[in-house]
Amino acid sequence: MEGRSPQDLENEDTPSGPSSGLSRRGFLKISGATAATLPLLHFSSHASQGASGMPADRPRLTNWEDLYRERWSWDRIAKGSHGWLNCRSACNWNLYVKDGVVVREEQTANYEASEPGVPDFNPRGCQKGACYTEVMYGPSRLTVPLKRAGERGEGKWQQISWDQALREIAEKLIDICQRHGGEALVQDLGPHFDLGATNAARNRFFGMLGASLPDDWAEIGDLNVGATLALGIPHIGGSADEWFLSDFLVVWMMNPSVTQMSDAHFLYEAKYNGADLVVIDPVYSATAMRADHWLPLEPGSDAALGLATARHIIESGRVDLDYVREQTDLPILVRLDTGRFLREADLEEGGAEDLLYMWDEKQDALVAAPGSRGNDERVKLHLDGLEPVIDGRFEVELADGSPCVVAPVGALLREHLATWTFERAASLTGLDVGMVREFAEGFAAAERPMVLSSWGSNRYFNSDLINRTKILCLSLKGAIGKKGAGYHSTGWVGIDGFGMTANESGEGFLGTLRGMAKVFGNTKVIGMLVDKIAGKKSQAQFEHELARHLTTGEDSCLTNSASQNYRFQGVAADLAREQDHLYPRPLASYVEESESKGWMPTHPAKTEPRCWVTGGSNVLRRSNLPQRMLQNLWPKLELVIDVNQKHTFTGLHADYLLPAAGYYEKPGIKYSVAYVPYLHYCDRAVKPVGEAKDEWELYSLLAREIQRIAIERDLEPTRGCGRERVELKTFADRFSFAGEYGPDDVEGVNQKILEASPSAEGMTVEGLKKTGIAKYRSVGGMGIQENLFNSDWKGEGVMRSLTDMSEHRWRWPTFTGRQQCYIDHPWFIEAGESLPDHRPSPSAGGDHPFQFVSCHSRWSIHSVWRDTTMLLRLQRGEPVVYLNPDEARELGVEDGGWAKISNDYGAIHMRAKHSVMVRPKVAYYFHAWEPHQFPDHKSYKWLIPGLMKPLHFAGGDGHLGWFFGHFEPGTHVQDTRVAIAPSEGPDSQEGSA
Amino acid sequence: MTEGTRGQAARQVAMVMDLNKCLGCQTCTVACKKLWNRENGSDYSYWNNVETLPGEGYPRRWQETGGRDADGDVKRGEVPRLDQDYGRAWKFNHADVVHSNSHQGDTWLKPEGQPGWGPNWDEDRGAGRYPRDNHYFYLPRICNHCTHPACLDACPRKAIEKREQDGIVLVDQDRCHGYRFCVEACPYKKVYFDTERQVANKCIFCMPRVEEGVAPACARQCPGRLRFVGFLDDEEGPIHKLVEKWKVALPLHPEYGLEPNVFYVPPMSPPALDQKGRPTGEPRIPTATLEGLFGPKVKDALATVAAERVKRKRGEPSELMDILIAYDWNESFELGAGGAATPLDGRG
Repeated sequence: MEGRSPQDLENEDTPSGPSSGLSRRGFLKISGATAATLPLLHFSSHASQGASGMPADRPRLTNWEDLYRERWSWDRIAKGSHGWLNCRSACNWNLYVKDGVVVREEQTANYEASEPGVPDFNPRGCQKGACYTEVMYGPSRLTVPLKRAGERGEGKWQQISWDQALREIAEKLIDICQRHGGEALVQDLGPHFDLGATNAARNRFFGMLGASLPDDWAEIGDLNVGATLALGIPHIGGSADEWFLSDFLVVWMMNPSVTQMSDAHFLYEAKYNGADLVVIDPVYSATAMRADHWLPLEPGSDAALGLATARHIIESGRVDLDYVREQTDLPILVRLDTGRFLREADLEEGGAEDLLYMWDEKQDALVAAPGSRGNDERVKLHLDGLEPVIDGRFEVELADGSPCVVAPVGALLREHLATWTFERAASLTGLDVGMVREFAEGFAAAERPMVLSSWGSNRYFNSDLINRTKILCLSLKGAIGKKGAGYHSTGWVGIDGFGMTANESGEGFLGTLRGMAKVFGNTKVIGMLVDKIAGKKSQAQFEHELARHLTTGEDSCLTNSASQNYRFQGVAADLAREQDHLYPRPLASYVEESESKGWMPTHPAKTEPRCWVTGGSNVLRRSNLPQRMLQNLWPKLELVIDVNQKHTFTGLHADYLLPAAGYYEKPGIKYSVAYVPYLHYCDRAVKPVGEAKDEWELYSLLAREIQRIAIERDLEPTRGCGRERVELKTFADRFSFAGEYGPDDVEGVNQKILEASPSAEGMTVEGLKKTGIAKYRSVGGMGIQENLFNSDWKGEGVMRSLTDMSEHRWRWPTFTGRQQCYIDHPWFIEAGESLPDHRPSPSAGGDHPFQFVSCHSRWSIHSVWRDTTMLLRLQRGEPVVYLNPDEARELGVEDGGWAKISNDYGAIHMRAKHSVMVRPKVAYYFHAWEPHQFPDHKSYKWLIPGLMKPLHFAGGDGHLGWFFGHFEPGTHVQDTRVAIAPSEGPDSQEGSA
Repeated sequence: MTEGTRGQAARQVAMVMDLNKCLGCQTCTVACKKLWNRENGSDYSYWNNVETLPGEGYPRRWQETGGRDADGDVKRGEVPRLDQDYGRAWKFNHADVVHSNSHQGDTWLKPEGQPGWGPNWDEDRGAGRYPRDNHYFYLPRICNHCTHPACLDACPRKAIEKREQDGIVLVDQDRCHGYRFCVEACPYKKVYFDTERQVANKCIFCMPRVEEGVAPACARQCPGRLRFVGFLDDEEGPIHKLVEKWKVALPLHPEYGLEPNVFYVPPMSPPALDQKGRPTGEPRIPTATLEGLFGPKVKDALATVAAERVKRKRGEPSELMDILIAYDWNESFELGAGGAATPLDGRG
C-alpha cells in the first residue's frame, strides 16, 4: 500500500505481511483492536476486499490514474477539531498530514445514535471546517511577532524576536499595573474560546494580574436574557437529536441550515418521522424553504404571534393544568395594589421576603408555595394534594390589618392576553389571520411542541419579551423539560476542570483546594452547602448558585462588556438620544441606580482601560459604532496586543501582534455545546506554522519574564481587581502550578482539565488522540457556563435538559422557584413589562425606510474565514447587502452594483445582491466581514448604535442581577434603520460621506 | 440515440441526493475542491458544485446549451467562457491590506478586477415574489457518470472511458489532446478544461476512494446527509430502493437521453400564498419547474414521499422514510465487496 492506505498510516506499528506489505492478519488486527481510530467508513469491509486479492503492492505513478490515487494519500492522520473557535458545533475531523503539512481534513464518522429510534450524529462538519487549512496556510496568517512601526492603523510593522516581544510586553504590563493597577488591563474574553489550555492560559494569566475580564455574551447579542427572566437559565436544551422526537417543531428565530449545519438534518429527518416543521422568519431562509408552514412576519413582531398563541392555548382548554400548577408561577399570588408578589413580609412583621403564596382551592386558603425560596418545609415543587388556583381574585389581610386584593399570576395573564386575538396578532405581524390561527391551533394540539430559538433571537431591543412569550406558550403546554418537547436555545455541558485551571487559586493542586476553602469560608457559600447537604437543594442548584457567587463575587474580575462600552466607548450620548423616550426614565438613570446598588459592577471600576489584549476576539470588528471606540477608547490605551492566528482589523490597530498556533497546531478541548454529547479533543497535527506559539507556552513565557524582571528590580507587589497584592516575584511559579506545568506542558494542562471534570470521567489525552471524541459521562457540573439540570443523564440516551425540575421537582433557579412569566422587579412593573408583551421595534439610527438586520453567515464563523480565498470565490468575493429584487430595481440598485447605505451615523458602501428571500423594507447583511473589506474600512457597524435595554441593568431581586453568561445588559442591532440608494461606488461624489 | 457507446459497464456505481435535506452549505464543493483540483489551470472549475435554482447555474446557462436536437442527437453545444460563464478564480489583495504599508482605507480587501460571475454567484437569489411565491432550492451537481455519456461519444481521441467494473467515466489524461469536444458535448457541462495542462478533466467519482470501498468525498463529507452511494444493481441497497422500488429518486434532465447515474429526490416546499396571504395548498416551487429538471415523474415521486410522511405521522412504519432518515448514516454507502455495511468497530 506504500504509504497511501489509511490502515498503515494510522497504525504505524502494525506488523506488515511478508510479501504484500499487508497481511490478512494485519488487517484483522486493525479492524479488531484499533478500528475505533479508523477514519473512514467501510474499512473493515474494504479490508476483507483487499485481503482477498486486491493488489496491495500496486506500483505508484505508473499511469495517469495513479496520479489521482497519489492525491488521496497521506503520511499520517491526526484527530482534530476547531477548538479555539466560537462555533456552536463541535465536529471530529481526520487531519491528513503529508510532508509535514496538513493537506486536507475530512470528518470522522464515529458518533453513535443516542438511543434506538433516533438518527446518529454523523458526519458533523461544514465547508469551513473542511478548509480550515486554507486559513492555516492562508495569506492572512500571522507567523512572526510584529511590532508597530508607524501610527496605529497605519499598517507599518517591524518583525521582532519572541525574546524582544516578551520582554517589552512584560515591562509594559508591569508598568501599567504599577501606575494604574491590574484592572486597567482588559483581557477581551471572546467570542472565540476553548475549554482547554488555550483559554485557561490567558484567563489564568490575566486573572492573576487582577485584570478586567469582560463577558461579551450579551454585547454581541447572543445572550438569551428572556430565557433567564423566565427560567433562570439562558442556555437551554440538550442534544440536537432531541429535535427528531418532536411532533411540532417551531424554528423561531434560527436558521439551522446556515448556522447549525451539523445538526440541521435532525429537523428534516423529523419531518420524515411525521413532525410538522414551522419556520417563523421574515427571511425565506435556507431553513424556511424546508418548512411545512413558513410564517413571513414583520421583523420583531414575533411576540404578537406568541401572545395570540398563548391566548388560544388557554381559551381552547389545552393548558396542562397539573403542570402549570406545579412548575410555573401561574398560581403565585400577586398584590393588585403594588403589582408585587405577595410575600410573607407583607403578612407578618419580620416575615420573609422570599416566601410566596398560592391559593388552595380545597382549603380555600392561602398556602405557602412549594419550592418558594423561603419555604423551608416544602423545598421541592410537589403539590402533594394542593390544588392551587390559577384564576380568580382573593382578599388577604396584611400585617397592618389592612385588606389587600391578590390574584394568581394566571388571572393576570388571562386578562393580559384577552386582547391578543388572532386578528390583532395578524395586523401586527402582517400575517394572514388564518395563518395565525392555524399556527396557534397546531401548537395547542401538539403533543410535543418544541421551539428552537437561536442566539440570534436576542438581537432585537425587545427580544427578551419575544423569548419570554415563546417560553410562555411552551410552559402552558407543559412542554418544558419534557422529552422531545420544550425550548432549545443551546445548552452547555459543564467542563468543571476548566474553571479550576483557568483561575488562580494558589500554588499547585493544593492551592486549588485552598481556593475552594477560601470560597467555603464565605458564609453565603456555607449556607448553600448546608442546604445542599440537608437535601434542600439539588446538586445542580447548588452549583448554579455557587457559579453565580464565584463570578459575581468581590474577587471576581469578570465584568460585562456592554456596561464597559457604555462607560468607556463614548456611546452614552448616542444611546440617550436613541432610546431615552422609550422608558419612564433615561438610560443613564437606570445605569446609575444599578451601579450605585452594585447590581451590575463594571471593571475597571477605579480607573480606565490602559491596555487591551485580544486573543480570539476582534473588538473593532464586532463592536457597534467602532468609530466611537477608535475616537474615545483607543487613545487611552497605552498598549494594544493581539494574540492571534491571523491578521484582523483589531490587529491592524494594535501595537503588538503575537502569532498564536492555529487549531491544528496546539492541543485543545473544544467548548462544550450540548447539541452533540461528545467531548471533542484537538490533537496537534503539526508544529505551529512559522514562529507561532500555543497560548499556554506564550503566557508561561510571559509569566517567567514578569517574574524575572520583578526579582531583578525587586519590585513591590502590584494591586489588581479583587487582589490587594499581586506578588510578581513569584508570578511564574504560581502560574505554572508551582512548576508542575511548564511552557511545554500544554497537553498536561488539558489532562488536568479532563481529570477535574466529572463529565469527562475516564477520558485521557492519550485516548482522545486516537478517537478525537468521547461521549460525555454526565452533563457536568459547575462549568463556566451552565449546567443542564439533568442529574440522570450518564452518557446513555438522548441528552435532555431541565429534568431535575420537570421530573425530580427541584425548584427552578428563579425568584419564585418556578418557570416565571411574571417579573415583579419594580423596574419591570414601572415599565409595564411584568408580563410578556409585544413592543414594536424602535427605530435606531434615525427615521429611515429600511430595517437593517444582521444574520449569521453560512460562510464564516465570526471573521475567521471571512477573507479566505477559497470561500470568497464561492460567494461574491466582497461584502454584500441583500435586498428584495423588486424593491432594489425600484431604487435603481442593481444586483452586483454599489449601494450607499446611510443613516444618522454616516454612510458606507456595499455591493448589492438581489434575493427573493428578502422582505421588502428590510436590508440584510451577513455577519462578520472585516472592516478592511469595505471601502474606507467602514463596515455596516459604523451605522449601528446597538441599543441597550435599560431593564437588563436590573438586579437585587431573585434571579435578576449580574451573572456571567446569564444576566447582563447587551447591545441590540436589529432595530437599526438605514436609507439605501444606488451609487457609482465609493469614489463617486455621493460616496464621500 | 447515441451510437457506439464504448465501455458498457458490468456494474454501475450511482448516487442519490435527497434535495429535501440539502443545506446549500457547499461542504461537498469544498471537499471536492480540496481533494482534486487546486491547480492554476483548473482553479476555476468545480467538479462538484451546488447551484441555487431557479437561476442561471454554473457554468452560466448550462441548461440552455446542452441537450439534444430534434433528431435526438446530442447537440454540439458550446464551450462556456471563462469569465462570463464559469467565472475566473478571483485573486485577492491580502498582502496589500493586512500586512503592508498600505494606508488605512485606501486599499480594501477585494477581488482583482470586477467579477461578473462565479460558481455560486446565484446563491439564494431565487424567483417569485415575496411573500406569495418566492422560492429557491439547492441543486448539487457532479458528473452523472451517464450510461450513455455524450462526452465519450464526442471524443475523437477515444480518450474517455467508462470503466467496466463500476461505470465511472474518466478522461484519460495521457490520451487527451485538449480538443474540448467533450466539454461541448456534455449537456450538463461537467467536463472542464485545464487551461494550463491543456487537457480535459472531470469528476472521477473519487475513483481511488471507491476502489477501496470509501464513498466519494462529496458524499462522505455531506453534513446534510443527503447523499447515498452504491451499486445500482444492489437490490438491498438504498440506491436501488430509492430509484427502482420507491421511484422517488429521478435523474436530472432525463430527456437528454444520457441515462445519468446520479438521481435526485425532488424538493418539497412550503405552500404558496394567495393575494391575501392565505396558503393556497400549491407548493412554492412550481411543479413545472421541477418537471423541467427531472421529467414527468416528479409528481409521482413527490406524492409518494408525501403519502409515506402521512403514514409515519399516523405512527405506521415506512421503509421509505426510514431510508431517507438515514438512522445509521454509515449505511448510506454500500461499496463493500459483499454489499453489506460494516459499521466502524468500536464507535464511541
